[in-house]
Amino acid sequence: MRIPRRALAAAVVALVLPLSACGSGSDDSGSTDASGKVEGDITFQTWNLRANFKPYFEGLVADFEKKYPGTHVKWVDQPAEGYADKISADAAGGTLPDVVNVSPDLVAPLAKAGLALDLDKAAAKYKKEYLPGAWASHEIPGMEGTYAFPWYLNTGPLFYNKSLFKEAGLDASKPPKTYDELFDSALELADKSDGEVATLANVPTIEDFGRYGVELMNEEGTGFAFNDAKGVELLTKYKELFDAKALDPQALTATPESSGKKFLTGAVAMNPGSALDLGNFKKQAPNLYKNIGITDQITSTGKVNMYVMGVMVNARTKQKPAAVAFAHFVTDAQNQMSFAKKVAIFPSTAGSLDDPYFTEQDGTDETRVRIAAAKSLTNAVNYTPVLFSEQMKTELRNNVAKALQGKSSPKEALDNAVKACDRLLRQQG
Amino acid sequence: MGVFILYPFVSTVVNAFTDRRTLIPGEFVGLANFRELLHDEMFWIGLRNSTLYVVGVVPALVLLPLLLALLVQKNIPGIAFFRSAFYTPVVASIVVVGLIWVWLLDERGLVNSLLETVGVGRVGFLSDQWLLLLSAMTVTVWKGLGYYMIIYLAALANVPRELHEAAAVDGAGAVRRFLTVTVPAVRSTMVLVGALSSVAAFKVFSEVYLMAGPDGGPAGEDTTLVMLVQRTGTGLTGRVGYASAISVVVFVVTVALMLLVLRADRKEDA
Repeated sequence: MRIPRRALAAAVVALVLPLSACGSGSDDSGSTDASGKVEGDITFQTWNLRANFKPYFEGLVADFEKKYPGTHVKWVDQPAEGYADKISADAAGGTLPDVVNVSPDLVAPLAKAGLALDLDKAAAKYKKEYLPGAWASHEIPGMEGTYAFPWYLNTGPLFYNKSLFKEAGLDASKPPKTYDELFDSALELADKSDGEVATLANVPTIEDFGRYGVELMNEEGTGFAFNDAKGVELLTKYKELFDAKALDPQALTATPESSGKKFLTGAVAMNPGSALDLGNFKKQAPNLYKNIGITDQITSTGKVNMYVMGVMVNARTKQKPAAVAFAHFVTDAQNQMSFAKKVAIFPSTAGSLDDPYFTEQDGTDETRVRIAAAKSLTNAVNYTPVLFSEQMKTELRNNVAKALQGKSSPKEALDNAVKACDRLLRQQG
Repeated sequence: MGVFILYPFVSTVVNAFTDRRTLIPGEFVGLANFRELLHDEMFWIGLRNSTLYVVGVVPALVLLPLLLALLVQKNIPGIAFFRSAFYTPVVASIVVVGLIWVWLLDERGLVNSLLETVGVGRVGFLSDQWLLLLSAMTVTVWKGLGYYMIIYLAALANVPRELHEAAAVDGAGAVRRFLTVTVPAVRSTMVLVGALSSVAAFKVFSEVYLMAGPDGGPAGEDTTLVMLVQRTGTGLTGRVGYASAISVVVFVVTVALMLLVLRADRKEDA
């Protein structure tokens, strides 16, 4: 009887462990009034920023406490891996910090659960300080209000390996600018290298569909629509690339990290990135760095994709005035500019991108990339719908993979993905 | 015990009958989650893969460590080194081990380079759904060998040497002595190893997650049931109720597996 008892215990633990972090919440959102004296203790949580920016954030906290005597900010940082799970556990357990670093897709469920403060009500006076598009990036379809201060933005160019282009007989000084050119070059490169060199390492994501000009959601935000003719056209093209090995054979299981590595090792000819990557190329792949080509993101819409980070205020914080003041302080023009000079990110505050730091060349590649990115941000779009959850991303990737493997047609695959995403959207409530 | 095992267990079973989500308390939905499971393609893929894992991994983990234990049991100079070497994968972090195997089996990794050199050509260990599952099974077996070898070594130490000597005198060769002396003597240990490894194999997560990626391989075809629990029930939009229903199925199958192994043992005893 010793065996079954031990094994039973192991089975019980195995059963409950994956779910033990899950809990319940409630929809008690509390007041949105943030007026009053800025004082008291608050906690501020960032997303994997301590390792590289500890002095910056310690200075930021000290400045805030000096500006508002009687306040005390406890700064906590969480690792990148499992960040959403950490927030889920805190939100469910009622221990969500007062001010939280979030992305739009993380804000949506928190706002729906009444845990994110509506800043259109609580901090409307600050709205004009930010770029209109950035402020709107934390609006949730089907809900009134804005649920996080926009913080830093990021976008980047498309890097390409000039020597791989040259070896395939392509003109390395004329990288593809349109999707048609991209697909043609990719097929030629694969053909000339006997399938040894792929041009792309990732299957199309929701952002790629957006960049290609596909309508991602209906206007009401109640259903997905990326299975239209344009979406099918893009996936059909990718299928052609996959069959010709112009899309890496391991793309179906690729992650951004693995595709970055493939680009570093010369297995893939093009990869999206940011100014931050140039340093990595220099350090980890000097030969690649010597042959690096930099070109603009390819879009059919004329608008590049941007990533938005936000700072959310916990709707249930006991120190609402201090939490709102601190979230604004972190994201104000002066502090965003100061942060942008430490790392390759871009401020979301109005007028900041006109600073000479983002407009004047100094002859280096880093500055060239930074200026081009800042320029493109003036009309950039965060293509990923805020309601597009991790589970939906998985559904899209899996259905795209089926189409690329030939297990379903591009149309069937996208129909199935839309159906699954719509079901998940309904279940989100 | 109550807080860390009983409460989460009961809570999971209760949740399985609700539509609870991470941030939204659920309502009682009866058997709706279990009915949905029947029509969920990914659930059947998960069940298939977890079952295949048991079928592929358990026989290897019952037999190979026994052979290894017989090998390192001998008192040969330097054998302690091999005992330690075989045990090393057990103490190594599964994440590190998983990454090393990914590098080895990559399209341009060491294994494929060797295969190319000998003229076999590249094999898509990490891009073909079946090869991916097989690769993950190989890692599980490789990592588990040392652990079960130690269990077998303890059991073999209790096998009377006289039995072997008597069998040898009667003219039994090495294979015959293995089948008629060693195997009967360590049979209860083999049952234990079978039970432990089948539970571990059915709830496999790390190896497949690391090698096939968070989506569970191409088109999710390598997803296992525990991966599905993780994918469905975690995150801010996690469907805790539905994931709990899958967990209940994992629990029931795990218990059934153990009962099956024990029943087979009792039958042999009878």
